[in-house]
Amino acid sequence: MAAAAIHQFAECITCHAWSPDESMIAFCPNNHEVHIYKFFTDKWEKLHVLSKHDQIVSGIDWSKSSNKIVTVSHDRNSYVWTQEGSDWVPTLVILKLNRAALCVQWSPKENKFAVGSGAKSVCVCYYEQENNWWISKVIRKRHESSVTSLAWHPNNIYLATTSTDGKCRVFSTFIKGVDKRGSQSSTSTDSKFGEQIAQLDLSSTWVFGVRWSPSGKTLAYAGHNSMVYFIDEVESSPAAQNLALRDLPLRDVLFVSERTLIGVGFDCNPMIFAADDTGLWSFIRFLDERKAAPSASKASQDWTVKSWYGIWKMTSALQNSSREGFITNQIKGTSVITHRTQGTILGSGVLQVFKIQGQPGSKDSPDG
Amino acid sequence: MASSAAYPDADENLEAIITRIEQKSRKIETLLKQSKPVEALKTALEGSPLKTLDERCKSANWIVVHRAMMAIRDVDGMFNSLDPEYYDILMKYLYRGLSTGDRPTCDQCLKIHEKLTEKAGLGCILRSLADTVNTV
Repeated sequence: MAAAAIHQFAECITCHAWSPDESMIAFCPNNHEVHIYKFFTDKWEKLHVLSKHDQIVSGIDWSKSSNKIVTVSHDRNSYVWTQEGSDWVPTLVILKLNRAALCVQWSPKENKFAVGSGAKSVCVCYYEQENNWWISKVIRKRHESSVTSLAWHPNNIYLATTSTDGKCRVFSTFIKGVDKRGSQSSTSTDSKFGEQIAQLDLSSTWVFGVRWSPSGKTLAYAGHNSMVYFIDEVESSPAAQNLALRDLPLRDVLFVSERTLIGVGFDCNPMIFAADDTGLWSFIRFLDERKAAPSASKASQDWTVKSWYGIWKMTSALQNSSREGFITNQIKGTSVITHRTQGTILGSGVLQVFKIQGQPGSKDSPDG
Repeated sequence: MASSAAYPDADENLEAIITRIEQKSRKIETLLKQSKPVEALKTALEGSPLKTLDERCKSANWIVVHRAMMAIRDVDGMFNSLDPEYYDILMKYLYRGLSTGDRPTCDQCLKIHEKLTEKAGLGCILRSLADTVNTV
């Protein structure tokens, strides 16, 4: 499937976010500004330029229900933008960082957001009504290097991070007065702010792009050693599947359903992964057809099934769990992709919109 | 699961590792006599002491891998019966071979490297270069 649409917005795009209804997109054209474009029948038009930061904007997130934009930048600050009339009004959030902020994510309930930074720390920010001010609470001393990516568990408490120290960690971000105890049936949400729930030491290289599946049951992240890691039941009894890729590493991943994952990376071609009925993940295919085999065409022939190989195991390196043992399995990619998603931006400043069509006779709803 | 499984060799006694390698070495000689070079290579790669930092163990295992690798004549044929799970570790040994600077070894390593890269892609090279925990 080729890209459904390609639009050149800028020379380079450092980060982007879709509006809740996906009619607008906010991105940073590799400078201190954030541009917001809206799609009008046949073309994208620039509506707003948010310029408040002093340095490159490294992260943007647009909240789904409250329509707020949060931006973070190498200038170590963060702004929350709210729409008033036709204008976007910024509110400064002091993060208390001494290094660049690198990524940002709204929590599912949108009452908190988290910022990963080069200062080996994560800030969790929440709004204090009485002072009309966003407060930043910092999780320090856990990361041994920069925090590259963040993901909120659907329970609004757990926060997963990946870092250039090669580890993926899960923290509790319970904040008194913001989160309610016992709102979740699970006892594990009772942990204090900043408490480490799990540390996954599966990669010896940088790790990027952590995401929870929609239910929060599976966690996925990508390693700079061309591996993708899938971890089930992180809190209780982590079981990991390591999937080795044939080509260059991934930079980010996105769950489009409980069993379907899209990965984007240095091959400049999104990849689809899917889990079969037994929960084993495998590579299905590239999303974009323009992929030309980098080496021999002969080699590309047997790529599809044979050369994509996986190493599946439950690893003893899961530090919060002493369970050992392993599952081995060869992978055969037979699952069908059944979802529509849109939106991935590759670093070249080009927006490519992909739509994945549902397949007839599939179990999942095709109109996702 | 072969080469890439988690080995307990970090806790294993060095003498036990050496003994294990000696046993492998004898098995490899037998397989080579039966003209089964690919089986010999698989045997050599299996149970490699990846976690230990002891150079004596690393070298001992390299010697047996080298022995099996140099016996491979038909590189294309080898890949027909070498399963993907051996790819990553074989790549690591190829780089070790190339670092020796020995002419016949390097010739053989380059020949296998070309075919292996075709089969296993750049990801395999990345993993072998990036892995600082499981070394050969």
